[in-house]
This record gives sequence, C-alpha cells and structure tokens, in this order.
Amino acid sequence: MARLTPPAAGTPAPPALAVAGLTVVFGRGAAVMTAVDDVSFSVAAGEAYGLVGESGSGKSTILRAITGLVRPSAGTISIAGEAISASGRRPAGFYRSVQMVFQDPYGSLHPRRTVDQTLAEPLAIHSLADREARIVGALAEVGLGDGFRFRYPHQLSGGQRQRVAIARALILRPRLLLLDEPTSALDVSVQAEILNLLERLRAELGLAYVLVSHDLAVVGHLCDRLAILRRGRVVEEAGADALRGERLASAYGAELIAASRGFRRPGTPDPAPDPAPAPGP
Amino acid sequence: MSAENAAGTPPLLDVKNLSVRYPLRSGVVEAVRGVSFVLGRERLGIVGESGSGKSQTGRAILGLTPQPGIVAADRLRFDGIDLLSLPPREMRRLRGRRISMVMQDPKYSLNPVMTVGAQIVEACRVQKLAGGRAAKDRALDMLAAVKIDDPRRVFGLYPHELSGGMGQRAMIAMMLVGEPDLLIADEPTSALDVTIQLEVLKILDELVATRGMGLVFISHDLRLVASFCDRVLVMYGGRIVEEVAAARLGEAGHPYTRGLLGSAPRLSGSVHPLPVLERDPAWLA
Repeated sequence: MARLTPPAAGTPAPPALAVAGLTVVFGRGAAVMTAVDDVSFSVAAGEAYGLVGESGSGKSTILRAITGLVRPSAGTISIAGEAISASGRRPAGFYRSVQMVFQDPYGSLHPRRTVDQTLAEPLAIHSLADREARIVGALAEVGLGDGFRFRYPHQLSGGQRQRVAIARALILRPRLLLLDEPTSALDVSVQAEILNLLERLRAELGLAYVLVSHDLAVVGHLCDRLAILRRGRVVEEAGADALRGERLASAYGAELIAASRGFRRPGTPDPAPDPAPAPGP
Repeated sequence: MSAENAAGTPPLLDVKNLSVRYPLRSGVVEAVRGVSFVLGRERLGIVGESGSGKSQTGRAILGLTPQPGIVAADRLRFDGIDLLSLPPREMRRLRGRRISMVMQDPKYSLNPVMTVGAQIVEACRVQKLAGGRAAKDRALDMLAAVKIDDPRRVFGLYPHELSGGMGQRAMIAMMLVGEPDLLIADEPTSALDVTIQLEVLKILDELVATRGMGLVFISHDLRLVASFCDRVLVMYGGRIVEEVAAARLGEAGHPYTRGLLGSAPRLSGSVHPLPVLERDPAWLA
C-alpha cells in the first residue's frame, strides 16, 4: 500500500476508517468464543469515535484486529478507502498512517531504552531522514522539553511516559490514532493533561481517533460519536450529544449512564447533580 | 472531629499524628506525615492520588507496613487497644477477627489453588469461630449474604473460575465472616466494571449498615467515595489537606480538592480544555 495521500478537492473524503461485519472468534470446537460479533462502524477523517463497553465487550479486540494483532474471522477493514488484507500482515505504509497508544505506559515503553531511542525506532523502521529534528519536534508537540530526550522510562512519571508513547505514535505523522484506554492508568489530574493534549493534537494535526474506554465521561469529553458494545456486539451507536444529554436509547446505555453517576443508597432521593466544578485558578 | 460519641466509650479508631517513613538509600521517604482522625461506626472515605499516602495509612492501621517502613504515632488505638504496642501475635488475632481488609483486585488477593469455600472455612478455623460442618454452614451463609445466587456451586469453585465481581464478593464474604468491627477497604471496586462496582458497593453498604461496622473506604475516585461515605478525608503528599462532609463536596474549600473535582471530565458540561491542577508547593508544607 502506498503512502496514503489526501484525496483531490471536490471528491468526498473516504472515511479514515471503515469496519464492516468484523467478527473475531477465539478458540475452536466446544471452547469457541466470539469476542467481536458482526461489528460495523466508520470514522470520518478528523473525527473522534468512541468505543465504550465493560470488560469482555470486545472493544480492545476491535483495535487489535484493526492493527493486525489478532486475525479477524470475517469482515472488512479499510483505511482511508483502501481495504487492508485480513491475513494479519500489514504493509509498512499502513503503520505510517495508523498508530496505537496503549493503556499502560509502564508496560508499553522499553525499560532499557532512552526516550530518544524509543522515538528513533519508528524513524529507522520507515527509513525517515531528519531524525534529530523529528524527535525534538515530537517531544515539543507532546509538551516535553529537550531535557527528557535522554531519560529512561523509570525516570519519568506516568503522565510523562504516556506523553512519550503518544509522541512515538505521532512521529510518523499518522492519520488515524487508535487509543486503548489511554488515561485509565493515570491519576485524574494527569488524565486531564493527557486529554487536553489529545484534544489539541487532533485539532492541530487533523487526526482521526478511535478511543476505547470504559469511562463514559472521558468518551463524552473527547469524542464526536460513539458505539456502545456488549458481549462483542454493538448495542447502540449514538452522537456524543446524546451521551452528554444522557439520552441514550438502549437500556444498557442508560444503565451505564446511571452507574457513572456513582453510588445511590436505596431509599434516598436522586443524588444531587454533579457538584459544581472548581473554577480554574 | 465529628465522630466522637457522647457516651464516653472509646471511639472505634483513634489516630493521632500518624507517620510512616521509609529510610531508603536515597534518603527518607515520608509516606504519611501527621495524619489524625477519629472513626465511629460510620463510613469514612480517604481520597487521594497515587503517592498521597492513603493506602499507607490503611496499612499502618492494620500493622501491614512493609519493611523497612517505620510507623509512629502519638496515638493509634482501636476500640481502646493500643495498636502500636500490641505484640505481633495479638495483632494477628485482632486482624481478620475484629479488623478486616478488602483489597483492590480479587485476582491477586484470593489464593489461586484453594476453592473459595475452603478459603472461607480456613478463615473461620484460623479465627477459631467454627470448625467442621459449622464452618461450612457459616461460609455458605456468608456467600449468600454477599448476594451470590448459588452459594453451593460457588463454594466449590476456584478463583480463576469467578468473574471479577464474583471474586470480589467472595473476598468480602471471607473478610466479613468473622463479623469484624472495622473494615478497611482499599480500592475495593476499582478493578471492576462500573455496573458491577455498584452491586458490590450496595452489598458492602448493606453489610456495614446491618452489622454496625466502621468502614474506611480508600479510593482515588473522589466522586464515588462522596456518593458512598458520610465524610471524606482528602490526602495530598502524606497529609490530610481537607475533611469534607460527603454531601457538601461542592463546597470543598481546599484548592487541591477543588482541582481534583474540576479536572475530572464530566458527562454533561465538560469544560474544554479541562482545568489542569496547578500544584502549589505550599500544600506540602
């Protein structure tokens, strides 16, 4: 697959990602388990799309199927209008346009490589020139100064590590970023910084996101549209407005919204709506 | 503090100026610095981010501070018993029987090579509550009390055969079989899905209410804790920076508490960009 080029003006842009009838089955015989069951959705260029569900809903498996980490049993995946083979192998060009950020920045960075080495690797794989400038630029984009370049992961906080992971994904200038619970291992105050960073980068670079999360508030904050998954199936697809207005149509969606409001003691009136946020100092 | 009861009986837990220090090669890490609170038969939340000392506080009360930690306090009393001077043997008798702990992830806190039932029966035996048949009956009753539909079946299952929510219920059953007076729950629902989280909290809430236990609920989730507890201690850098009544969370005054509330995205009316917590070095003073 050639490097994906933006379409000529006038023609409608193909979606950044289109998934149709995706099915992933693990195991065989009596132990067969359908992790993803006939899932279809598409993400427009520059759009942020959320996949919401509880553990076992198949949301992470969908991302892994897109990147080729698991092999789908059926269905098609296309990136910017180009179908990618289901065989699991992806051409190098694919990885320049699609990158992934994982949940746990403590596990996703090589502990014995400096930030510089971590960021240089994708450049070497794709034989890109100007490594020096690209590395410095990528660090600046995620709000880390030059001083972080020769540090090891253990010398960084969780939020700084996740910034490095995002820089590593962005250094190839992808069009689509797959985010698998990118903030759930972080403290809320650090989560706020990473969410702001992701929002700014999307606006600046025109990226499309697929955000997998169990946290409705995070998805409502960052995404334009979302799909709610349960046991491998899409229960509901909705606009983020419906989520923010707590107007999800499915019973399961309503249940998730109710659960996200926190504990409610039986026999007590509805809890007060969210306490007012602190005005920024 | 508000939990002092009028009758003159000692409070369930009385902590004054608790500190936990770790002398390391690189210097002394002060994990907890001068924490004081009094607990009655109520639900108290301790909230903070990683490294705030909330879990270290819970562990120090249970006498589970790992080496080379040093625990010191002006007062650390449970029901009038001085925990600091208690011999390890006595402490072990207290722990499990009168003070219990529920930890975050049932995958790691249950014994993987024993059935759930055997583990609860063992808890009964070790605490000399019951033996033989009586212990088994007690374990089955306890599994029913944590709303497990088919206690007999679950009794014979191994932890890997349970879902996260079921595992945490089994854990709670084991911890409450001795009918403790004080339960310390450290992130008891953080590893669970949101809908399961609420079921587990509901069970915990009922047990705390019907058995008149004191509960210390340690969590990073300020909103969740406030919806569950009566009052909340907010910890930062090893200190309690603020105590708020759970119902008045919106009126919290400390900039750290307000920053924590503000920096969480909200389902409706999220602020773009999210306010970022500006940490004031004076909070550590």
